[in-house]
Order: sequence, then structure tokens, then C-alpha cells
Amino acid sequence: MDKRVIFAVAGSGKTTHLISKLSLEKRALIITYTENNYSHLRNSIIKKFGTLPSNITVMTYFAFLHGFCFRPFMQNEMNTRGLNFRRPPQRNYALNDRERYRDRGGRLYHNRLAKLIEVEGLLPGIKARIERFYDTVYVDEVQDFAGHDFNLLLQISAANTEMLFVGDFYQHTFDTSRDGSVNSTLHDDITKYEKRFAKAKIKVDKETLSKSWRCGTTVCDFISTHLQIKIDSHKGRVSQIIKVDSQEFADRLHADHGIVKLFQEQHYKYGCYSQNWGASKGQDHYEDVCVVMGSKAWKQYLEGKLHESVAQTRNKLYVAFSRARGGVYIAPDKLFKAYKT
Amino acid sequence: MPAIKKVMLQNFKKFESLTLEFDAGVNVLIGDNETGKSSVLLGLDLALSASRSHVETIGYESLLAQSAVKAFQHGPRTLDQLPELVVEVFLEEGDDQGYYGTQNLAGAMTDGIGMKIAPLIEEFGATIHQLLQDDPEGFPYEYYGVKFYTFSGGPHVSYRRPVKHLLLDSSRIDSEYAAREYTRTVFSFNAEPPERYSLENRYRRGKEAFRDKELAALNADLGAYQFGVRTSIRANLETDLVITKDGIPIENRGKGEQCFIKTEFALRRHEAKGELHALLLEEPENHLSHTRMKLLVEQLAATAGTQLFIATHSSHICSRLDLRHALLLGSDQQAGRLKALTEPTASFFMKAPDNNVLEFALSKKVILVEGDAEFILIEELYKKHSNGRTPQADQVHIISIGGTSFKRYLELGMLLGIRVAAIRDNDGDYQQHCVENYKESLYKGAQIFADKDDARSTFEIGLYQDNKAACDELFAAGRKKLTVQEYMLKNKADAAFELLRKKSAALVPPQYIKDAIAWINE
Repeated sequence: MDKRVIFAVAGSGKTTHLISKLSLEKRALIITYTENNYSHLRNSIIKKFGTLPSNITVMTYFAFLHGFCFRPFMQNEMNTRGLNFRRPPQRNYALNDRERYRDRGGRLYHNRLAKLIEVEGLLPGIKARIERFYDTVYVDEVQDFAGHDFNLLLQISAANTEMLFVGDFYQHTFDTSRDGSVNSTLHDDITKYEKRFAKAKIKVDKETLSKSWRCGTTVCDFISTHLQIKIDSHKGRVSQIIKVDSQEFADRLHADHGIVKLFQEQHYKYGCYSQNWGASKGQDHYEDVCVVMGSKAWKQYLEGKLHESVAQTRNKLYVAFSRARGGVYIAPDKLFKAYKT
Repeated sequence: MPAIKKVMLQNFKKFESLTLEFDAGVNVLIGDNETGKSSVLLGLDLALSASRSHVETIGYESLLAQSAVKAFQHGPRTLDQLPELVVEVFLEEGDDQGYYGTQNLAGAMTDGIGMKIAPLIEEFGATIHQLLQDDPEGFPYEYYGVKFYTFSGGPHVSYRRPVKHLLLDSSRIDSEYAAREYTRTVFSFNAEPPERYSLENRYRRGKEAFRDKELAALNADLGAYQFGVRTSIRANLETDLVITKDGIPIENRGKGEQCFIKTEFALRRHEAKGELHALLLEEPENHLSHTRMKLLVEQLAATAGTQLFIATHSSHICSRLDLRHALLLGSDQQAGRLKALTEPTASFFMKAPDNNVLEFALSKKVILVEGDAEFILIEELYKKHSNGRTPQADQVHIISIGGTSFKRYLELGMLLGIRVAAIRDNDGDYQQHCVENYKESLYKGAQIFADKDDARSTFEIGLYQDNKAACDELFAAGRKKLTVQEYMLKNKADAAFELLRKKSAALVPPQYIKDAIAWINE
């Protein structure tokens, strides 16, 4: 049974790779975290087969967690009524106290459900269920698994079926869920992160998807240098990285509807064609992009220390830069202040 | 084909709790009136259809077991004690994980769907509580709700049914709902979805074309207010379709004919994929002539690929479809199966002339007799030796089986635990014919009664010897060649009938018959 996690770089064709593995013969389960990626995968499957074949199932992570792992075993016993996506109140319940896992209305706290499943001893049943229905389990956006969800993922990966996880460590911008200090430092260090998989007997593959189709050499080099995140290009295409250094230049960019402006947050306040760094994840249709940085990041950039920014900022910048098929404009947000409402 | 393997009912209609296992082929539900044959079919229909509106039309009050409601009213009447109704249909396991799980009454990990009617405690708990306190008689049906689910705990929705089924209830065959439902279902499995949608679309467009062309002249003078043609959900192709035979809508035919046509049409095999998985037939013998019924049974017996559930009172249907398929519903919410019947016995009942096998199977106490003469006299003799009570009053059934197929009936009786007194002739060798012969067939609750005197080889000889005076008086006059005894042997039924008419008061039965009558009520 091949169990493998592929660490991919931005634009290296994760989805394409995943879809290419699917066939009408093997029964496949595909799990992804975000709704966006769920519809993206679904549409890609429809594109390939003309329809959603009955042997292929796509689920969002929480549909899987609740509908596949919990409900078939515990629905009646706990008489629950779906998930609660708020944080549980600060109260101390023992780990084996069911009140820890549900609210007063009978909804299960999304961030503790994976733990409840473990505590209730459902893991063997879930593994048997996976084996009963699927030949291969695919997990996309695996870098988003955090908290108890990451533990659950590793636990069920022991099921006797093929497992293929795909993700990009540095595109980790969202967490499936968090609960206190559980796995809170999971994403701090890529070496330790890889070791968690290796320990669960999952092969770590950093080769297959190490080159970007989307980004040219220039952008890849820029990312490798400034963010110290390793990314190679398939194309060897040369483009330009341009620093925006005048108000007049910024005005021109602001007015240009062909160039997306990527802001750290609240992009909608700038009244132009724009998006936030993190939210641009998964977008594949931008040509040139303009990354707008706050004063702190801008300073770090000028000093060549952009890689020292906090992990979350660094990851989001990585997402933003790697959107570019063509060139990248880099601008300080003070030049856009005039437009902010 | 996703076969229905089992149904579990809880507080449904008259069943507090019932589990029935089914065959993948034919299942014949037999039972007395009021044993719940129709309820089983209704339960299957409701759960498989997952139609909230259908359940609500029938009403929770008539679905929820009244015994459960009574038990609740006599108890502490607290929220947690409110009864819940459950119907769960267990299916053959398939490849869809959405049906697979342990969320069923049995707690078994398998495929299935269910229906639950339960009080809405989370939503209306306080109101119900108040109601129960204020009104000591009332039961809060209004605060019940129905839910359809799969064994994986997910919702079960009507547009994604794992089992395509159809209920044909001959007693309601001409109701509008049943007719529409029938046409809709048959249409859906005769026309593949793309064809269906194309037809529906063309029908709607045809109506629009009629409006634009034919009504145009009329509308031209009307200004802002115009005549149109209804194209709503209540007036589409599915609602307007009817099924015709020789150009006549089957709704306009007699009930018997309708029942027959509908069954035949539903069972007809189609190359199309969307076939019928399960057909539920409620008393198909209603409205059918004997000939028609035989045709229908032939149809049913030849059915392949559709699981059949037939509730019937007809011995003919039941035995001709192989008794081993029969599920016997008792009045005590018990269900027996005749699956264990041996092959020769099952084929015997399939081949034997029309018989009383169903009456036999549904009885608790039976006196089996060999011929017409015994049958004619035994009721009278019974009354005489049980202080005037009739066999019916003692719930004793008298069945004449013609010939000596006692062993076949005894096998059935053993399976169902029926008390059987079999009365037969010794045919000149009591030990051989009446003792050795049944060594293997008898069980506790079954006994052979026959004359131990080999000379008294038949009923008539014994009867004559014990009632010589009465018989001579009746039959001696006019005898030329035959003796009275010989006459009685040659005209068994007539002689018995004469005795019953004219000498019943004086009649003394042979001892073994007295014994049988005494024994059956022990």
C-alpha cells in the first residue's frame, strides 16, 4: 500500500496531478478543506469524465469528519444536530466527558470532533469503513490540517488503502481547526513537520511537484531569495520584478484593470481590481500582479530580510508572489493610501 | 438489484416491535385479518418513498401504535417517555457509503434507510411539557415530526431512493393519488431521465405554442388581460399522463382489470436501466376472477429481477408461489417462516389441487379428515361431544384434505406448532397404515386417530356397526342387490348427508373420533 505525501510548490499542478490519478476503475475518496477547492476539484473531475463518476467521491473535510467518521457510528447515541463552528467556551471538562465536545443545542464543536472520535474509540471502525468503500484516499491542501484534525489524519492513514496527500507547506494560511496547544507549533518548522509524516509511515515526496508551471524563473528566483522558500520553474521564462517607487507609477497601476493588486488585508477598501494575499490562494488566472506591502514588510524587503517576517505573513506573501504568470510589481502601501476609504 | 433484506418496525400501527426477514425473490405475507399484513407493506412504502407529505396526509395519529400511546398515558407522562415510531428497511450492502452505518435499531453495521416519527423535544419541549400537565387526556401528536435517514446517520431524500418500488393496493386502486403515483412511477422507469426531461420540456412548449397560435386571435382583442394555458407543477406531463389499453384509459376499466393490467405492466421487463426493484402488492386477489387470478399468479411466479412483496388471503396465490416464500403474521406480533419446509412438500402444495393450506396455516387447532363423509358429519359429532360448543367457538378448524396427504400437512403443522388431530381410515392394517407410517411425521401436538380394529377398515364400516339401527332404518328400504353397508360405501357423501339430516340426534360416532374431539381441546 503506497502511502505518500507530496510537498508541492505553488503552480506546480497539484490538482492536475491528483485528477490524473483518477480512473473509472478505482474507487477514490478525495478530501479537501476549503469550499473553493472543493468546487474546483469537482469541476475538474466533471471536465475529465463528463460527469461525477459514481466511484469517485469528493468531500470537504468537515463533511468527511462529520458525515463519514462520526455520524455512521454515533449519531443516534449522542443525538447530535450537526457542527458548531464557534470556539468552545472556556470550561474545563475531562477528555472523556462528552460535554466537552458539544454545545447545549447538541451541536458538536468542529475543533474537537476529531478528538471525540479518538476518545470514543471509533478509529478502527473508520479505518474499516475506508477500506470497505475506497481503494485510494486523496487529501488535497494537506498543509491546512491542524489541531486534532492533523492527528486524526495520521491515525486513519494507517487504513489498508492507498493514501496520497498533497500540499504546500508554505501555502499554509488557514487551519482546519485549533484547540488550545494541540499541534500549535506544527507549522513552525518544515523539517519537524515532515518527520511527523515519516513517523506515520508516510513517504515524503518533494520531487514530483517541485517545479512551478505558473511562475517563471525570475519570479521563482525572487521567491527563493527573498522568502527563502525553495521553488523551481518548469519554463525557464524570464520576466520582471519591478519596484514601484513613485506616486505617478502607483496611480497608473491602480487604474490598470489588467493587473491585480494584492493587499495584506481589506483589499476592497482600495477601490480597484484587487484581492488579499491569502485569499488569492488557488487563483490561477492572473498575468502580472502587484503586491502591496505594509511599511514593516516594505522595510524588510528593502533590507533583503523579508524571510524574517512571521511565518503567517511570509506564507501569505509567498501565495501572493506565486500568483504571477508574468511579472511582479512590488509597492509600499503608502502610495495607495490616497485611495483607501 | 438492491434487495430488501429485512424490515424492523417499532410502534408502527399495531406493531410494538416486529422484525421480518425477506427473500431476495418472492415474499408472501399471510395472516388473519388484523394481523398487520398491510401495515408491513405500508411501512415499506413510506420509508422507501421518504415522502413527508404522504406521511402527513395519513396522519401521525393513525400511524403511531395506539398501544404505545396508551402505555404512555398510563405512565408518568414525562417528555422522555413519549413513544417514537420507527420503520427501518435493511438493504443488501452496496457501494454507496452513504447508506452504510450502525444508525439502526439493531445497531448493525450495514446498508439501510429509516423513518422516524418522534416528538420535537428540542424545538417544543417546554410547550409539550406544559400541554401534558394541563391536559391529562391529551396526546401531543401536533408536536411530532417525521424524519427520513440512512444508516450512516445522513438524511434520506426522496429524489435519491436506493430502491425503486411501487405499491399496488387493489382496495384503493382507483383512488386518484394511487393512480397518479402509479403512472408517475411507471413512467419514470420506462423513460430514462434524458428522454423524460425532453418529453416534459416538449409538452410544456407544446402548450405554449397552443397559447401563441390558437389563442392569439382571441387574445388580440383583450388588451392587458389574456388567456393562457396552465403550465404549473400541477399541470405538467406527469400529471396529465394516463395509461391506456386498446385506446381506453385503464382508469375507466373495472377494478379487477385495472389491478391486473397495472401489475402486468409494472412487471414487464424493459431494457431500460431504470427498472423496478420492488413491487408491493396488497391483496391482488381482490376484484379478480378465478381465471384472472391464475394468470396473475403465473405472471408473478415468472417474475425475475423485481423483488415481490405480496399480502394475500388466497391459498391459491400463496401455495402456487411456493409456500417456502410465505411469511406468516400471527396475532401475537410473531412472524413465522415456512422456509424450512422440504422441497417435496413445497412442490406438493404447488401442484396439488386447490387446497386449504392457508386456512390450515392460520389455525391453532385443526382436525384433518380424509374425505367428504367425515367432513359432513364431524361438525355435528363435535358439538355432541363438547357440550354443544361448535368447533368455531373452540377455534378448531376442520379441514378435509382429500386422499392421504396427511404427512404434508403434518410437516407444515410441525413447523408452525399447530395442534393437529388427523382422522383417517386404517385401510385394513392399523399398525402399518396408522402407526408405522407416521413414525417420522408426528410431533408433540399431532396425533393420528383411527380405528384399531383392522376389520373396521373405513369410516363407513365403523359408523354402520355403531349405528346399525339408524342406518338400516334410513337405507334398507329399496335395497335389492346391495346391503346397507355396501350402499353406504358406494355413496359415502350422500349417505353421510342423509344421516346428518335425519338421524343426527341419534348418531353415535366411532370411539376414535370421540377420542380425537376430546384430545384436540386438551
